[in-house]
Amino acid sequence: MTLLQAKDIVKVYPNGVIANNGVNLTVIKGEIHAIVGENGAGKSTLMKILYGLEQPTSGSILLDDKPVTIHNPQAAIDLGIGMVHQNFMLVDSFTVAENIALGRESVRGVALDRKKAVADTEQLARDYGLSVDPTAKVGDVPVGMRQRVEILKALYRGAQILILDEPTAVLTPKETTDLFAAIRSLVNQGKTVIFITHKLREVMEISDRVTVMRDARHVGTVNTFQTSIAELARMMVGREVFMQVDRPPVTPGQPVLQVHNLTFTNEAGRPIVRNVSFTVREKEIVGIAGVEGNGQTELIEVLTGLRPPTSGSIQVEGKEVTGHGARGMREAQVAHIPEDRLTNGVARDVSIADNLIVDRYYREPFKRSGLLDLNQIRRNGEQLIEQFGILVENGDQPVASLSGGNMQKVIVAREFSSSPHLLIAAQPTRGVDIGAIEFIHQQLVNKRSDGLAILLVSADLQEVMKLSDRILVMYNGEIAAIFPNTPDLTEEKLGLYMLGAQRQSAEEMEGLR
Amino acid sequence: MTSTPRRTPPSAPAARLIAPLLAAVFAIGVTFFITYRIFGGETLDAVMQAINDRQTEANDFAAILFINALVGISVALFIVQLRRIALRVTITVVVALIFGFIMTTVFNLDSANRYIRGEFRVSVVTEAEVIEDEAADMEYGQARGDDFNRQGVLNPISEAAYTFAGRQGDLINVLAYAANRRSEVDLQVELIAPDGTSIGASNFATDEQVEQFDDLQSVNDAIIQGITLPADGLYTIHVRPQDLQTGTILSEALTNTRGAYEAFLLGAISRVNRWAVWIQDALTLILVGLAISIVFRARQFSLGAEGQLYFGALVSGVIALSGGALPGWIIIPVALVAAMTAGFLWGLLPGILKAYLNANELVSTLMLNTIAVRFYELVLTFQLQPPEAGYTASSDYPLSGQLPVLVANTQVTIAVFIVIIAVIAVWLLITRTPLGYEIRTAGSNLKFANYGGINTKRTIMLSLAVSGIVAGLAGAHLGMGIHRMLILNISLGLAFEGVVVALLARNNPLVIPFTGLLYAYLRSGAQFMERDANISFEIVRIIQAVIILLITAEALLAFVQSRRKLTTPAEPSTPTTTMESPRLIIESSAGEKKNV
Repeated sequence: MTLLQAKDIVKVYPNGVIANNGVNLTVIKGEIHAIVGENGAGKSTLMKILYGLEQPTSGSILLDDKPVTIHNPQAAIDLGIGMVHQNFMLVDSFTVAENIALGRESVRGVALDRKKAVADTEQLARDYGLSVDPTAKVGDVPVGMRQRVEILKALYRGAQILILDEPTAVLTPKETTDLFAAIRSLVNQGKTVIFITHKLREVMEISDRVTVMRDARHVGTVNTFQTSIAELARMMVGREVFMQVDRPPVTPGQPVLQVHNLTFTNEAGRPIVRNVSFTVREKEIVGIAGVEGNGQTELIEVLTGLRPPTSGSIQVEGKEVTGHGARGMREAQVAHIPEDRLTNGVARDVSIADNLIVDRYYREPFKRSGLLDLNQIRRNGEQLIEQFGILVENGDQPVASLSGGNMQKVIVAREFSSSPHLLIAAQPTRGVDIGAIEFIHQQLVNKRSDGLAILLVSADLQEVMKLSDRILVMYNGEIAAIFPNTPDLTEEKLGLYMLGAQRQSAEEMEGLR
Repeated sequence: MTSTPRRTPPSAPAARLIAPLLAAVFAIGVTFFITYRIFGGETLDAVMQAINDRQTEANDFAAILFINALVGISVALFIVQLRRIALRVTITVVVALIFGFIMTTVFNLDSANRYIRGEFRVSVVTEAEVIEDEAADMEYGQARGDDFNRQGVLNPISEAAYTFAGRQGDLINVLAYAANRRSEVDLQVELIAPDGTSIGASNFATDEQVEQFDDLQSVNDAIIQGITLPADGLYTIHVRPQDLQTGTILSEALTNTRGAYEAFLLGAISRVNRWAVWIQDALTLILVGLAISIVFRARQFSLGAEGQLYFGALVSGVIALSGGALPGWIIIPVALVAAMTAGFLWGLLPGILKAYLNANELVSTLMLNTIAVRFYELVLTFQLQPPEAGYTASSDYPLSGQLPVLVANTQVTIAVFIVIIAVIAVWLLITRTPLGYEIRTAGSNLKFANYGGINTKRTIMLSLAVSGIVAGLAGAHLGMGIHRMLILNISLGLAFEGVVVALLARNNPLVIPFTGLLYAYLRSGAQFMERDANISFEIVRIIQAVIILLITAEALLAFVQSRRKLTTPAEPSTPTTTMESPRLIIESSAGEKKNV
């Protein structure tokens, strides 16, 4: 029975971006409907339209075969459509129960009836099998529970259709498993779930049907049991995709990066990185696994000179570089592919050629007798554009004129062309489309085989396991475990360390640092 | 990645030549037009006459032509550098001018009121014998009158009636006319017989009548000619101003506005001395605009140029005044360097505050401006002002402390060359030096600059300080070139004008000469409009405000453009040249929209 239908949805943003171009979606009551597509394929826009955050430029929405107009989220909630956003919309300083009751409580006087809120929350949690602690402050509970709070909040408001926007992006494998169990129980109780993701494995595991989107268009809707990851990937990308990376075994060489007892304490005095020690050698990829927010970002910032460490030392090829700043690290031949590339890795209204020299403009051959050599800069730009296949006519254009994928190539071109001895790559495939992921992975492995030392930080556990020779697990700012990447290492095993359920002793880690 | 690769169609050589060609044509055209206007202006003969008459010395003429050629070059640079955006800037200015025209017209709507206001007289002109009657207001041959709609009185009158004694059979003429040349009142008059019936009326006088009757001055006066009185008794003359027609009101307002706008748009190039006012003002604005453009490039919203300018003026002024017998070729360079140093230091201060204490540069520069202005006033009042002076100003700079003039009897000095050097220097700084690279990069994305290893604290600090160098020069120019003494309020908010100049030029140092000239043209035009057409300077303020609004509203323009594109979706958007293209590209690759 068709519950919700979106017909020929067209959404054009005021800046001219066509985010949805004739999209059709049919959701059957009681199903788990996955929506997949690369970044920017228009998934989120479609969901925002269904939840009333955006108005379609044209097209119609039918609920129970009746056309409806959803002007705002309140209207969506009234129609029984709830949404759990990627970034949780919760008040950290309120308790779980208060957050769930928030927005509904005002009907009954000014003060919130806390007892009732707690009772309601407990009831709701029992009904749907979503365990939460009603009296805990949201700021103190783990990410997985926050997500359950969001789901309960939607259910509390009477949601019959639940839209989950990339719900697993922030979860550990264990939490993901729990979430899937909860989703199944919701469906068993008659709810309908729309599940947005770009992780195809999860689609195969949880969904009943899949709608694939590409370039703002609707590519097709298939039954999950009749399809495969390969087919979905092909639909998403528009060509064959190879998911495997060929990683030949090599023997690591001399240590390139040596970190000793590194500690970083933030402005508020909270230790974020605690006493971290490890080594990265030539011809080796060291992966750092961990749930986001366990100090990886700060560790990278310290290692690349963007923040000074509070204590400890960093050595690159035996030279002390602690506190040398970003330029000092770059002069020590450390390249850095940053986490938020498109915001921090390029200057958008500066030309491509200029973006390609940010780490070397002050040196020969770009600077001659005090002035910049524009010809040299242009030649360098042309050369790298050619070499890295950046799709643009010439390097004089601003980076903003490039597509996201090509902006990434500008960054990669700059960092690889600096002839680094150590590459620090943070979330190298975040926001990258499936087709480009395989390319980046292969590049990293090839560089490592050629002798580069690589420190890889990724929230994607699969990626870490696919590429790394050794894996460090970070939990709460510390290294909780170190594993050589042997075939018997499983995601579940790593997950236990990522969540802090287990921890290796110093002796266990000693030989592996 | 899956979106269609972006390919800019290679532009044909012809298309690439359009902008330079257009620029060259405009440059030559502007040069000659300005030169032509300021000499005689009307006909070529007049120009030749003026030159032959030696009203202008030959070397002055050469200097003027040279500077006008520079103006032409500025126009050419504007077109070549901004290309399409040049069109947008032009539209912005034109729209602002049109808006100003409408505003001026609205303010001029009362200009037709002169026709209903003013002193008038009525008289009865006849060859008949005078009749004396105590009850009558007037008698044959007499004139009576009053003042219609007089401004500033409690109950202004808008009609009047006068009686006179008449005799049956007398042939009379009734005249109503403006009492003097100042009065432009447009009258109508009616003659009422003793029995209350109207026996004649008129609201005009013909040219012949004006000729015939001495009292009548224009066709706006009124006359009832050749009436034979039907009976004895008291006749009444009703007189009042003609009702204003909407058409009259509008056409009067438009005529006035047109006159004002002519003064506004051509006043600055109507005579050499007016032209000089424009050029000297432009030189200051170009320097201030350059200073502002440097900090804006680094995306520092610093308005410190004002304070730096005051310090530049003060320091150079002190040196110029105390130079004594030293020759100008020593004093002037020393004073200029001192002004630049003062500006540098006064700019470095907010730079340090911003870089190391994270003090908001807008607030700190505004505060420092106040300090600078007050310090300037302090030194001026208590140290520099000669005791016998009647007002707060230093004594005149000795000749060795003044910038040598290029055109005699004007304030157009060798500052022209200083400005040329400054433009080239700032352009080189921004495009060719490592510091310029750092400023551009940090201004575009501070985090990226940090990530790339740029010392952004140093960059921010230096951007403010280097900007101060140029602002200090502007101050030296004000003192040594224009006023040739230090006066109170030597700059009234020039830094803010510099913001407009820099914004109009998109912070491009090669475009700033044009926008500075343009803005100075509007400013000086405003003075001449005020002088020639009695339109207040505030109108120009409005035009300026509209320009600023329109610049900031460019996002709106882009919005309108994108909307227009949507209505014709069949037409694929072809990405065009660099500066304007990003939005179009986005449309062609919706797949990447997250990165927009």
